[in-house]
Amino acid sequence: MTDRPTELQKAVAALGQVAAHGGGTTSELSIDETLLLHSIGWEPVDLVFGVSWWSVPWGAWQWQTGEVLEASNAFAGALTEAAEQLRDECVGAGGSGVVGVEVELRVTSHHVDVTLTGTAIRRTGKPSPGFEFISDLSGRDFALLTRSGWWPLGLVAGASFVVAPRRGAKEWASQQRQNLELPNLTEALYQAREGAMARMERAARATGADGVINVKLREGPLGYNARVMQFIAVGTAVHLREEAHRPISPVMVVPLDDAVLQFAAESLRGQG
Amino acid sequence: MTSVPDGENTGGLPEAAGRRLGSGAWSSGLSVADFASCLSMGMEPLGFVQGYAAMHWSWYSSTYYRTQTMGGLGRVPGPAEQGQYSEGWQCPHGFVGGEHRMYGYNFEQTMVEDNWNTGWGLAFHRMVEEASALGAHGVVGVADAMTPLPGTGAVEFSIKGTAVTVPGAPRPDPPFSTFLSGQRLVKLIEAGFVPVSAVAACSSVQMISYCITRYQMAGTAAGNWSGAMSGGVAGVHSIVQVGKALRAARHLAREQMRSQLGHDELHGATLESFEKEVGEGDLTIQCLVRGTRVRRFKPFDPLPEAEPVVRLS
Repeated sequence: MTDRPTELQKAVAALGQVAAHGGGTTSELSIDETLLLHSIGWEPVDLVFGVSWWSVPWGAWQWQTGEVLEASNAFAGALTEAAEQLRDECVGAGGSGVVGVEVELRVTSHHVDVTLTGTAIRRTGKPSPGFEFISDLSGRDFALLTRSGWWPLGLVAGASFVVAPRRGAKEWASQQRQNLELPNLTEALYQAREGAMARMERAARATGADGVINVKLREGPLGYNARVMQFIAVGTAVHLREEAHRPISPVMVVPLDDAVLQFAAESLRGQG
Repeated sequence: MTSVPDGENTGGLPEAAGRRLGSGAWSSGLSVADFASCLSMGMEPLGFVQGYAAMHWSWYSSTYYRTQTMGGLGRVPGPAEQGQYSEGWQCPHGFVGGEHRMYGYNFEQTMVEDNWNTGWGLAFHRMVEEASALGAHGVVGVADAMTPLPGTGAVEFSIKGTAVTVPGAPRPDPPFSTFLSGQRLVKLIEAGFVPVSAVAACSSVQMISYCITRYQMAGTAAGNWSGAMSGGVAGVHSIVQVGKALRAARHLAREQMRSQLGHDELHGATLESFEKEVGEGDLTIQCLVRGTRVRRFKPFDPLPEAEPVVRLS
């Protein structure tokens, strides 16, 4: 077992010396992620970014019902451009992949904004085989995924924005005193979902993926227009690199610490 | 660490602080778990240390106002000073009228960056100075904040942490500092890294839009006016000037951070970006990066592959 105080004394003594070589690495990974990646032969290289805003023409949301293709296309264009920038930065820094990508999305009436921030990583002590993937998986999830024989291929996404048709005056008037489903809004949400999911799955197939994991959804009305239903799905496309999935067979552990960690009045009443 | 400009007086410790730190029980911002981790590593808390600086603050420089007249002709930024980011765009339509934005610019606002670096640097140095006065080896669990002071046009920078000593080790000058504490710090040291300093950098980019960017931001880039006559950006298209400004702000923050690292590495970086619309289609962008500068003090063999566990509770 490490003698921690002695180790710490050595560490502090090293502050009096100047680092002789290397350096310049920037990373947003936690120490746990860094150690996990190190254990499977990867190391962080640099913090990398991709930012893209795409315009949506005036009137796109107002003068139609059904899908607003301009907005869906703007989303696709912005995500593709931001991902290309991320890939270029990763390659420029000598990385082979990007993990822990934080995806920030914003949809306004006139533009769709995508920002990607992640950490470029490379194999330790091996030449890079070239660019391999962008993934929103954390370092921990990347280690688990590759351990079980799977491999990330890229960040994939789909978006759809649907303007629900207005109810007719007669319909509106007849429904004022009833609590009932509004099919125009339900159907708009379903249409948006099908459009977005189909686009994401198509993008995954185009990369040669078997599936998409860690899918995150944004669904529901757009903030500034309740009649526009948005559905955005983003995830990491993966494929099975080994012949078969390797079960990770986790060990079951039972913690022996007290379930009641802090004093709580309820525990005195015998309700705990 | 962020540097304080040469000749800047950090003010020294207030007398009351000196008296308080010289007597009485030690204080700490550590949680019980962090406290236990520090003790297990051989660190002992000495005192809760803080540094403050209140700075007058403006989001954008006077350059912005000078570009607001005569369709951007009021003041055309000159060539960028060496190393500064600056980029320009020219309208494809020619002179149309006084309100028409003939020129667009993205440029680095060094005034804002310098102000931020000075404020953060002063607060940081004051905190470290308190730690030094206590005879500390380092400061752990550093937390920083920037809070506007309403009605004053000023912001307060505050940085705090727990000064610690490492009995038996030579005292570094200045003491080390880190945003980490507790188990994360233990793991960092066991992995062969020692924290050198908490570091932070701020970049600021002003974007003065030209006509095409304005149309795109307002959703009015349609038809020949901004289509065929301007290289075809009508409809759904990338807003190039904005994308470049936002990326430039991130790159500048990253490079400012890198310039503080020397041969060391940056661990656990966090990045925050703020955009503020300061006029029709104009943006001012700030980007903050924080993290801990770490140095490898021993070679470290990779850990064995981690054992997956399922917790039954």
